[in-house]
Amino acid sequence: MTETHAIDYTMEFPYTRTVGPVFGPFLTGLRDGKIVGNRVNGRVLVPPMEFDPDTGKPVELDFVEVGPGGTVVGWTWVSDPSPKHPFQHPFALALITLDGADTAMVHAVDAGSIDAMSTGMRVEPQYHEDRHGAVTDVHFVPEGTATTVAIVPGEEPVMITEHSIALRIQEELHDHRRRFVEGLLAGRIIGQKSPVDGKVYVPGRGYDNMNRTLLTEADEVEVADRGTVVAFTQITPVQYHGQKETEPYIRCSVLLDGADQPVLGIDIRDITMADFRIGMRMQMVWKPEGQRDASDIDNRYASIPEGCYETWKPTGEPDVDPDSLKEHSW
Amino acid sequence: MSANDNDIAIVAFAQTPSYAHFNNSEPEMIMPLVNDVIGQTGLDRHDIDFTIAGSCDYLSGLPFAFVMNIDAVGAWPPVYESHVEMDGAFAMFEGFVRLKCGDIDTALVSGSGKSSPGSPRIFTALQSDPYVMAPLGVDHVSLGAIQARMLLEAGTVTEEELGAIAVRCREAGAKNPYAQITDALSLEDYLAQPLYNAPLRQADIAPTSDGAAALILARGKKAYDLCDNPVWIRAVDHRMESHHPGLRDLTTSVSTRTAAGKVGLHDGPVDIAELNTLFTHEEVILCEALGLGDGTKINPSGGPLVGNPTMAVGLTRVIEVARAIQNGEARRGVAHCSSGSALQQNLLVVLEGDK
Repeated sequence: MTETHAIDYTMEFPYTRTVGPVFGPFLTGLRDGKIVGNRVNGRVLVPPMEFDPDTGKPVELDFVEVGPGGTVVGWTWVSDPSPKHPFQHPFALALITLDGADTAMVHAVDAGSIDAMSTGMRVEPQYHEDRHGAVTDVHFVPEGTATTVAIVPGEEPVMITEHSIALRIQEELHDHRRRFVEGLLAGRIIGQKSPVDGKVYVPGRGYDNMNRTLLTEADEVEVADRGTVVAFTQITPVQYHGQKETEPYIRCSVLLDGADQPVLGIDIRDITMADFRIGMRMQMVWKPEGQRDASDIDNRYASIPEGCYETWKPTGEPDVDPDSLKEHSW
Repeated sequence: MSANDNDIAIVAFAQTPSYAHFNNSEPEMIMPLVNDVIGQTGLDRHDIDFTIAGSCDYLSGLPFAFVMNIDAVGAWPPVYESHVEMDGAFAMFEGFVRLKCGDIDTALVSGSGKSSPGSPRIFTALQSDPYVMAPLGVDHVSLGAIQARMLLEAGTVTEEELGAIAVRCREAGAKNPYAQITDALSLEDYLAQPLYNAPLRQADIAPTSDGAAALILARGKKAYDLCDNPVWIRAVDHRMESHHPGLRDLTTSVSTRTAAGKVGLHDGPVDIAELNTLFTHEEVILCEALGLGDGTKINPSGGPLVGNPTMAVGLTRVIEVARAIQNGEARRGVAHCSSGSALQQNLLVVLEGDK
């Protein structure tokens, strides 16, 4: 069962940033095979700065090419690189003062071995074949070991730099969420009942926030697999990257019998808007045991996963008076 | 009784253990602490005038995690509430400043974080400059290691001295019921550890932790209504340096030294210092910048090297000093919290008891 409860997902976001008047020439320089700093208050800053570090004032645009060689003034040997590092083999992250610069920049030195690294060592840039106007267009190597890359300067200055960020999250389902999933797979919907006011939350979150009370397995109760529609909307799918929906559908919230908090995010694809009502009584039609899939549930806000049911169908019971559902209309 | 009307005191505090992994939600870490501190004061939840939390959604990878955390603090009916995407110590600073306005009397402060589901080395890289550092994955451990090497090569500290700090913190941690790392460590063990981010060893580096801390602040005479033995916040100062390491002298901490002057650190004895040392070498830099000598106990809790719940670890430093003062182990002390890599930002809190 452990496999079912492991959560492993990666959130990614592609950032496209305008580069501005100072980082622009720096990143344009890297694309075109040179390193550019700026002169500020008598010092040459590399990387260039948009402000005077001493006063915070905006700077005059006064660029100066530095390097290509430089001196390592501080370093660490990264023996166990993170997925975000430029190399997946051991390498150095170093503070490098380029020839002609007064400040050091952080960059990677691919030295092969920690024994090749020392403070004061000379390094030079190794430009990459693929360059896009990003700080990752280059890394450094011990002086005299860079291989020549034929560089044709680009025509337009770099205006945008792209950086895709990602965070990988790995954890187990929280204890109460795991029990909720195990219940669904066994055909039971489990909620948590507050010992303070008796309200039942589905799915539970491990606490009753209204009364600041932790809820445990001892507070868990089974609720019905039928209930009342308390809110709904029609979703017309917008076609974005990753979108799987093509046809309009209803997304509704159902207050299950025995619960005080509706289950949100239940999608209805076989009833039209004209036939859908607040107060309508609905029955969840389970998938057969063994065919239920709750693997897309995680520790965030959770609904009953669509993989656990075939559909929801009207029970045919009289509607509940919508006025009596106002407290649950979410 | 040393309360002027606008003096601010800590009147209750609580912390979770530092967990290697807490397999439930962040609100479930915070809620028992909130109930604990409210219980200590006898306040009704809705008698607390201001509520502020420090946390970071990046840690657990849960967008709007900080909103979920409000479930834990008792926010219905709605309360006057704020949040900083920083350690709870910085939230406490906002609560302190808010109380100094003089129109309200109490504030509930919390700090919490779950680092274990994600990767601290990735999210610290993502908080660096997005043009010239983040794409290279420049992480806090690597910048700390560069800083440590500079100190070693300058002759400011030796490997054995770093090892002695690790050993001393580990010994202290063995007596700290909230500590996460309690295994014994000898200097021989330390020196035998392989280099991880050379020159740092694993024993030089604070662990990855989940945890939370909370406290209640009260203003003026209200503090004595809520607590027999309030701990007064005499001064707070927060200074920051450039986040470009090439623009800083990494072998010292100008911002800490400035803050120490602003809070009048040496206007009285400094019996205890709880420092937010994420690496052994940071203790060397901070003690020098703070001008601390033999008269000051440094991280008697073991410090972050034995438990490092990001976003609560700084507030925990405040609590450790307050506890030592309430226990009579100290009369006056300083708590330190850092933010950013390689001690880029530093916050100092001077605390003092009545006795």
